[in-house]
Amino acid sequence: MGQVLTVAFFGLVALGFGVTVFRTSSMVRSALSLLGAMAAIGVMFLAMEAEFLGVLQLMMMAGEMTIMAIFMVMYMMDPGGLGQMEMTHQKRLSKGVGLTGCLGAVALTLLVDWGPTVASAPPPTTQVHDLGIELMSRSMLVFETAGVTILVAMVAATVVAIARHRP
Amino acid sequence: MTVLWLVPLLVVGTYIIVVLEEWVTTGRFRPVAPVFGGISLLGRESLVPRLPDRVLFEAAPGLLLVAPVLALAVLPLAPGTIIANLATGALFLNAALAYVMVALFMAGWGANSVYGLVGGWRFLGQFVAYSMLIVMPITAVAMRAQSLATTTIVESQTSLWNVIAQPLGFILFWLAAMAVCFLPPFDLPIAPHELAGGIMGEYTGDRLAILRLARLVLILTLSASVTIFFLGGWLGPVLPPWIWTLVKTLLVAAAMLGTGRFVPRLRQEQLVAWGWQFGIPLALTNILWVGVTLLVVA
Amino acid sequence: MTLIVALLIGTGLFGIGLYGAVSQTNMVMIMMGVELMLGAAMVNLVAFWRFLHPDVYAGQMFVLIVMTVMALEAAVGFGIATARFRARGSVEMEEAMELKE
Repeated sequence: MGQVLTVAFFGLVALGFGVTVFRTSSMVRSALSLLGAMAAIGVMFLAMEAEFLGVLQLMMMAGEMTIMAIFMVMYMMDPGGLGQMEMTHQKRLSKGVGLTGCLGAVALTLLVDWGPTVASAPPPTTQVHDLGIELMSRSMLVFETAGVTILVAMVAATVVAIARHRP
Repeated sequence: MTVLWLVPLLVVGTYIIVVLEEWVTTGRFRPVAPVFGGISLLGRESLVPRLPDRVLFEAAPGLLLVAPVLALAVLPLAPGTIIANLATGALFLNAALAYVMVALFMAGWGANSVYGLVGGWRFLGQFVAYSMLIVMPITAVAMRAQSLATTTIVESQTSLWNVIAQPLGFILFWLAAMAVCFLPPFDLPIAPHELAGGIMGEYTGDRLAILRLARLVLILTLSASVTIFFLGGWLGPVLPPWIWTLVKTLLVAAAMLGTGRFVPRLRQEQLVAWGWQFGIPLALTNILWVGVTLLVVA
Repeated sequence: MTLIVALLIGTGLFGIGLYGAVSQTNMVMIMMGVELMLGAAMVNLVAFWRFLHPDVYAGQMFVLIVMTVMALEAAVGFGIATARFRARGSVEMEEAMELKE
């Protein structure tokens, strides 16, 4: 019972923050609302007993969203939000697309028979240990590919962003 | 029940660290000074700057206080005395300390002042420098303990403390811990003589009291984490375990407060360059060293 | 029951993210919409792992990969935004019409 209530409450918090992301005109508040949505998702992971993933989500999103806030202040025209600039285009199309996507997914959720739900999950200590074993034995190729992808992305982002020196 | 002993312990611990800080930095030992200082600070007028971002301005001191208290919840005082013995305790400590960055960013932006903004932005550069140096020594410590739970990490040091088994990791974690609680020489967001107080410059009255209290709790939390991860936590010969934890934490805090003042403040680009060009290869060497010793010795 | 609640939260976040990604003119805001959609996918994945197959850790592996993808596309996206800002002075999508007929 407590699990349903926690997941529902933090899910509504995440939805609220998600709406605030696109409705506020202050850029920093927008980025920090996205952080609030991601943190609420992290707490939902903790409520669904995926402890390692929840803690990892909370940790990564704090750094990522603050850096996103700084980039917004760098690149947006009106970071404080006091000028009430117009920032959207394709208004009816975007609302239609968003609503269609949401309703399609809701129909899928309610109409598919997901089968019997399992009552209990492994305890967190076992989960951390078994996730490590899985990472190192069966999903080793995925792990290594992810590592190489991270390295490639770091090099690519640095190369793209370096300013050229005109000799 | 176990939450109740945390509050008086925090109050006593932060009181001792305030007295320690003044003793170590100025040489004067005045045990009653924090009481008068706190009363005078709370009695002052609480100004709000012109056109602040009100939500962020008010929320920043609170978040800076909540983050280290959450981190303290996973650190054990004695073998059975811990508030939340999470299976991923070491990682949760890291996650809670990441919100220190968010709080300082909010304080810098919310006050609508140039010096605060520059202080907050420079702390982002410091965060980029120290974030890897915090995580990698914790990884090496967790490798030795074969678990991320903080009680298991202390119990794995029964034979040999991690400061002797992984000295490189200890030095890197010490420096990164000083950078997290923005003590000199890593005090870019505060910068007393350069940025006119930085992020703390626009706060007055009771909000400044909360901000200063949060900084002290942060120092206490990081000293406790250095003790737990590297100095053997509650392990010691004669005294009861919780006294050993407190003594070691306060010694680490005194050392952190006293040693950094003699080094000039590092600029943000120097900090990032040193952190990434020297710190990360050394941290990876530390992980390699720990892996080799674990496979050879065990 | 909790499975259905979590999946519905996921659909809501996905709809908001999709609206944001299509409606915003600035590249950084579009990236925020994409991050919301990936967050919704992660909520779905964790719900499926916990309530349908809690002993198969491939579900948690997938969530780790999605988290990695979120961080990487943010990094490369900001690199591209930096290059574009240096070349043109803005990252607005309405002004990016060099390849249009």
